[in-house]
Amino acid sequence: MSVTNGQDKAQGNLIEFTLDGKKVKVPAGTNLIDAAKMHGVDIPHYCYHKDLSIAGNCRMCQCELNGKPKLEIACNTVVTPGLEVKTHHSSPAVADAQAATLEFILINHPLDCTVCDQSGHCKLQDFHYEYNAKPSRFVENKEHKVKAEVLGPNVILDGERCIMCTRCIRFCDEVTKTHELGMLNRGDRSVIAINQGKELNNALSGTVVDLCPVGALTHRNWRFNSRIWYTNQFDSICTGCSTGCNVKVAVRDNQVVQVKARYNGAVNKEWMCDEGRYGFGRFQPNERLTSPTIKKNKVDLDKALEAFKSLKGQETLVFVSPDLALEEYWLLKKFLDHDVQKFKAVVAYRERKLSEVEQILVSPDYAANFRGAQLFGLAGENLEVDYKKALEMLKSGSVERVLLVGDRAILTEDRTPDITAAISKAATSIGILADATSALALATQVVIPERTCLEKAGLMVNREMRLQYLERLLNPPAENVMSAWRIINAASKKLGQELVNCMNDRELTLRYLKSDSRLSHIKIADLKNGGVSLTDPSMARASEPGAAVGAG
Amino acid sequence: MGNHKKILLANVHHKDQHTIAGYESRGGYKTIKKVLGMDPLKVIDEVKTSGLRGRGGAGFPTGTKWGFVPRNSGKPVYLLQNADESEPGTFKDRVLLERDPHLCIEGMLISAWALQSNWSCVYIRGEYSYPYVRLNEAIKEAYAKGYLGDNIFGTGFSHHMVIHRGAGAYICGEETGLIESLEGKKGQPRLKPPFPAVVGVYGCPTVVNNTETLAALPWIMENGGAAYKAIGTEKSTGTKLISASGNINKPGVYEIDLGYPLLKFIEEECGGIAGGRKLKAVIPGGSSVPVLRADELEGVTLDYESLQKAGSLLGSGGFMVLDDTVDMVEVAVNLAHFYSHESCGQCTPCREGGHWIEKILNRIKDGYGREQDLKLIESICKQIGGHTICTFGEALITPALSCIKKFPQEFTDKIKEAILSGRKPEEYRHQAGH
Repeated sequence: MSVTNGQDKAQGNLIEFTLDGKKVKVPAGTNLIDAAKMHGVDIPHYCYHKDLSIAGNCRMCQCELNGKPKLEIACNTVVTPGLEVKTHHSSPAVADAQAATLEFILINHPLDCTVCDQSGHCKLQDFHYEYNAKPSRFVENKEHKVKAEVLGPNVILDGERCIMCTRCIRFCDEVTKTHELGMLNRGDRSVIAINQGKELNNALSGTVVDLCPVGALTHRNWRFNSRIWYTNQFDSICTGCSTGCNVKVAVRDNQVVQVKARYNGAVNKEWMCDEGRYGFGRFQPNERLTSPTIKKNKVDLDKALEAFKSLKGQETLVFVSPDLALEEYWLLKKFLDHDVQKFKAVVAYRERKLSEVEQILVSPDYAANFRGAQLFGLAGENLEVDYKKALEMLKSGSVERVLLVGDRAILTEDRTPDITAAISKAATSIGILADATSALALATQVVIPERTCLEKAGLMVNREMRLQYLERLLNPPAENVMSAWRIINAASKKLGQELVNCMNDRELTLRYLKSDSRLSHIKIADLKNGGVSLTDPSMARASEPGAAVGAG
Repeated sequence: MGNHKKILLANVHHKDQHTIAGYESRGGYKTIKKVLGMDPLKVIDEVKTSGLRGRGGAGFPTGTKWGFVPRNSGKPVYLLQNADESEPGTFKDRVLLERDPHLCIEGMLISAWALQSNWSCVYIRGEYSYPYVRLNEAIKEAYAKGYLGDNIFGTGFSHHMVIHRGAGAYICGEETGLIESLEGKKGQPRLKPPFPAVVGVYGCPTVVNNTETLAALPWIMENGGAAYKAIGTEKSTGTKLISASGNINKPGVYEIDLGYPLLKFIEEECGGIAGGRKLKAVIPGGSSVPVLRADELEGVTLDYESLQKAGSLLGSGGFMVLDDTVDMVEVAVNLAHFYSHESCGQCTPCREGGHWIEKILNRIKDGYGREQDLKLIESICKQIGGHTICTFGEALITPALSCIKKFPQEFTDKIKEAILSGRKPEEYRHQAGH
């Protein structure tokens, strides 16, 4: 079974070329930098980015090509049959040119690594260490340029650190097409500047900081936050919407201190929206529930779980949060089928209008895993209609039993007084919630605290049916605060049958993957690195709603 | 005085030559009428026969360049006249644009017919305000007479011409920099390939020709490529404008048959060295070509091959004569400043290295040189040359390298003096701004 992941290249005709004396094969039409990488040779580069146009200005990727009198840049070279390439590994001229390029870049650089946010994850530091590492021969005065120039609400520029790779300019010209940035002046006075009458305020503006290989562009609200080596960094995905952008999150003292887009050619390339990036923890409540309560009185979990007995075999309206993990939907569906039997489940889902720039990347919802819920039949095709109908039903006062699974089971804008009144007046209302101050937590009779999606690991399915892995980033507010699946599992046990017996989130994920023959060969590493498309022909059956369930 | 053929400057001395009436009274716009009846490919063949080479500096055969333009690509072909003459020491196109603008227009029309181009643009150096006025008037006159516009001479061929004034950047004389600038962007050379003949202005096939090159076309088409080839040497055919300047008695623009002896040119056309002083060196083809010492000039002729053999280039014909009062360190500093100031700032070695060289040379000039400085300059130059997007990198390093190579004594004397004086290089603070 073939797995399509983000890094896959279209399998075209293979052609053979020589890389540092070794004959290797790559698909026809491959760029030399990418072709070398496929065979374990990193050709250093600053300005090249596979999803931007070729600028060829940094001169780091120079290589020796057969039949060419001068060194050529790899970024502007497409591999052709019979091409003989010598990189820095086999050509002293190339190694010299790269060392010289680094010396050139650094002569006017302020060398302020000690106060630079990029320090520790800076391509200038890395490459200098790897490809030059000699003291500079420059003894003249340095050129001075703009410092701390505000480019927009999110991004700030240090002109002296800039190496003029123009990735930021090209991103705004070619991807967002908003044309905010340009280059001013000539020679070593060149600086990146805002075009007249503009401001770098497009919906993806923070991406230019990710693209900046050095410390010239930094996030205004994360500047001087933490040295990167004091943070733990996790490869995860953004739960802001159902696009499922791949991210690298730096965490320090249980706080998110920086979010970086991570490359996934099939999802977000290396872009990310500002709303997701700077609002990474926006669904993370400030005040948390830490103990189960019944009518606002603290109880132990066992007592709270008793309430589930009143749902058994009774008509129940179930509101499900759109950002639970796929395994949680799996167990929830099993629990509802087996124990509640008569139920109607809806996923909280609303769409909004997107701006032109947002449409490049952002999905119109705030529902990270609604596809996961659809897979198990917890939501139908008409998500928003069904959700609104369920809200109307609740308002009408005819609902006797309500189950709220997840903190965003009913969206903030829908927590109107008549809704909360209906919840508190129902015969039974049980909530698996996180926010202590929300109208939902105050209205629901039986409340069990759960972990938010930043506090648990699990599987997510994005809008394009790509299965990806969500990493646990933060610690829960208290040890006894559990993931929703544990609570569902405990409730099921209370009613007679334990659904699974797993130690932790990761074990549950592995159990889930094993449960489906179509997924059983997939490793968590695959899901973290590119993900797996469920619409791949070999996955066809898995994409049918509920198809993955029975095997459990 | 050599007996040179007058092809380009034949009529520039007539007071009314810049008007269409004056131009036509001396046979102007006669050739184009004939050419418009010819097979365009025949025109290209004729130019190939003439051996005409691009007069902007590179000396690439014009007919061959035209031959690279794809026929029937489905895209319009654009023709650009490079009148961004900005190489220090070069002021030849100016005479043509000012005194004989219709010659440039007729040359453009011939080229346009050969390439079947319906739109052309003259990219003129921004500082050339008077040439701009003259050319602009000439274009208006040509439009009024129906020599430009739709259905020229009733042949059904249409050609429109506009002028674009540059904003004062040397790099816009580089053909892809010129194209970028014309498209309204910052003047920065493009990566090649693709070349402009295939992907040029707005992604369409484009030919960029120097003013002087185009101005030679009416004569070639009137008298035949063979007649043009008969002038000059085997590989350097025809006549060339030389803009002579420096320590000579008669600076100015001269039209010479290629292959004319260089020393004779200084003595006869230029009237010898001013003030009866001694010749020290010549920069024969604009500031970006290597300097030649007086003792290297014996037997050298003004053409592409001879100058290349002597270790320099004919370039744009910006002929600068230096006498024995000239300090070569000053020359190196001056040119290094020009090139570091004009570097477009796009690619790393030229952007950073250009100013670095200037700074070191300035330090040497001001008496703070160090022993290792000349080796350092050489090493920087080696890492700029051939490592950049365009050939500006070579243009930048050549003056510094050749001044040091040809006159090492002047540099080492300055450095020795600095070392003996006990001045510390780290105390040197040069305040020259841009």
